[in-house]
Amino acid sequence: MRNLLIVVILAALSGCATVNKMESGSQNIGERMTLTLDGAWNHVALPGQGPAQTWTMEGLPVDVLLVYSGLKDGQAIHRATSSGQKSFNFRASMQPDEIVGLFEGFLTRDGSQFQMTKLEPANFGGEKGFRFEYALTRKVDGVTLSGMGYSTVSRGELFALVYQAPRLTFFSRHKERVEQIARSAQVKT
Amino acid sequence: MNRRRFLAASCGGCAGLVPGFGFGQSDWSAPARFARPEAASDEGGLWAMMDREESRLRRSPFTLRDAQFTAYIQDIACRLGGEHCPDIRVHVMRTPFFNASMAPNGMMQVWTGLLLRVENEAQLAAVLGHEIGHYMGRHSLDSLREARSRSAAAQVMGLFGLVGLVGQLGIAASMMSYSRENEREADRIGLLLMHKAGYATDEAAKVWRDLQLELKERPDGGARNPLFATHPAPEDRQQELATLAATFQGGGTNAAEWQKRVQPFLRDWLVEEVKRGQHEETIALLTRLARDIPSRPEYLVARGETYRLRGAREDLDKAIADYTMAVAVEGVPAEAYRGLGMIQRLRDQPAEARTNLLRYLELAPQAPDAAMIKSYVEELKS
Repeated sequence: MRNLLIVVILAALSGCATVNKMESGSQNIGERMTLTLDGAWNHVALPGQGPAQTWTMEGLPVDVLLVYSGLKDGQAIHRATSSGQKSFNFRASMQPDEIVGLFEGFLTRDGSQFQMTKLEPANFGGEKGFRFEYALTRKVDGVTLSGMGYSTVSRGELFALVYQAPRLTFFSRHKERVEQIARSAQVKT
Repeated sequence: MNRRRFLAASCGGCAGLVPGFGFGQSDWSAPARFARPEAASDEGGLWAMMDREESRLRRSPFTLRDAQFTAYIQDIACRLGGEHCPDIRVHVMRTPFFNASMAPNGMMQVWTGLLLRVENEAQLAAVLGHEIGHYMGRHSLDSLREARSRSAAAQVMGLFGLVGLVGQLGIAASMMSYSRENEREADRIGLLLMHKAGYATDEAAKVWRDLQLELKERPDGGARNPLFATHPAPEDRQQELATLAATFQGGGTNAAEWQKRVQPFLRDWLVEEVKRGQHEETIALLTRLARDIPSRPEYLVARGETYRLRGAREDLDKAIADYTMAVAVEGVPAEAYRGLGMIQRLRDQPAEARTNLLRYLELAPQAPDAAMIKSYVEELKS
């Protein structure tokens, strides 16, 4: 997440980041997923961005919704790294706890602490999937965030929503919106 | 050796019996305690900056808030620091990387990734002694005075492992920016302090050797690691430490006391280590620990989890072997049963999978993934 922050700040300073409005209504995400939004979101496009779309309500780095659609077997869940750090790659055979572990590894590369607080079965995108919740203490500033996610693997591809925001005020402010988006998700089979 | 006898032995003070100590302990004695520098001086500015950072550290959610354990680590640092003890303030930080650092104002950070990796008090003393060596040698001031640009000043800040600045490196930040000569001097002072405190100095080279074994498992073979890029070749350093240690005979490791003290934290630290996702390094680490301290099933379970999560060819077989060995020991972490059950479920062994997953739920009914595991148990019923 810290790397993401740095990229956002640098990109904004250099005028490379673009922010587009994601309008209410039905939105196609990638080739196989459709989400229905009941309000607008900000879609931040960053140079060299990874496979997830980055959305925010309050603006980065306050809150972030990562939207994965159709991540293929072997693909990393983050943008390419150049520092010799290991990539976190999705495998189609992964179990739910392993997929949560992928996000966890990615979000804690800077030494932040991640504590999964719930993992349960859930439908997502019309498929059998799972839902998880977590707490994350950000290394860079010690802020505690709450997070949640939905995910499923369909025809060997990963679909997921992961949202996190500061535990105080912001997470509860937008949690229900994210739940609504998750309920609206449809994955084409 | 119990703690009291160990301490008594440490007072043997063989410091004067050591010929051939490179920079000669006859040439070196610990400096007097440092007075607070003038606020207007460069050193005073550095202290003020570190004071602010320490205030932040005290409030940090990453601080391990266990007064008894922190006092234990403080006691080890004090024995090494001698007269400087009142100026040393230890902060144990919950961060799963190998790191310790000491700022010129006496703030010492010790990260839990280091505590997981050392096998006895002497090994920890080797690292802390090295950091105290930098402190006594006032090396950070040398670095500050060489810093002519803002970017270089930022690197000086990085010396102390400030929250958020260096965590991603996964190694001792303090090893990044001191000069080679400073590093060598800190090694030598550290060894001398270890010896005076009654610790077996040959443990210092082992810390370095073990760290190398892990770093070599990185995807780039450790080649891009700043530790290897800017410092004496690791083999040379290990050899230098071993040679120096040979001149300091005696001392103890206090391994039993160390293992007793870290036991309450071990499972949390192992979970955090596995969660780093650096599977190759973690397997190298846990293989060493499981070999050296075979009485602890926690290492086997953590290695089994690492194999299971890596999921490469034959990894599941290795995971099964580790879990199976672990569950034969009383008091094994519940995760061993979950790991067995998950693999058996994948391998279409429903009866065995169900038994082990139920055992997991029995041992950890409040586990965050209990709902998910219950769904598997239901699925396996049919």
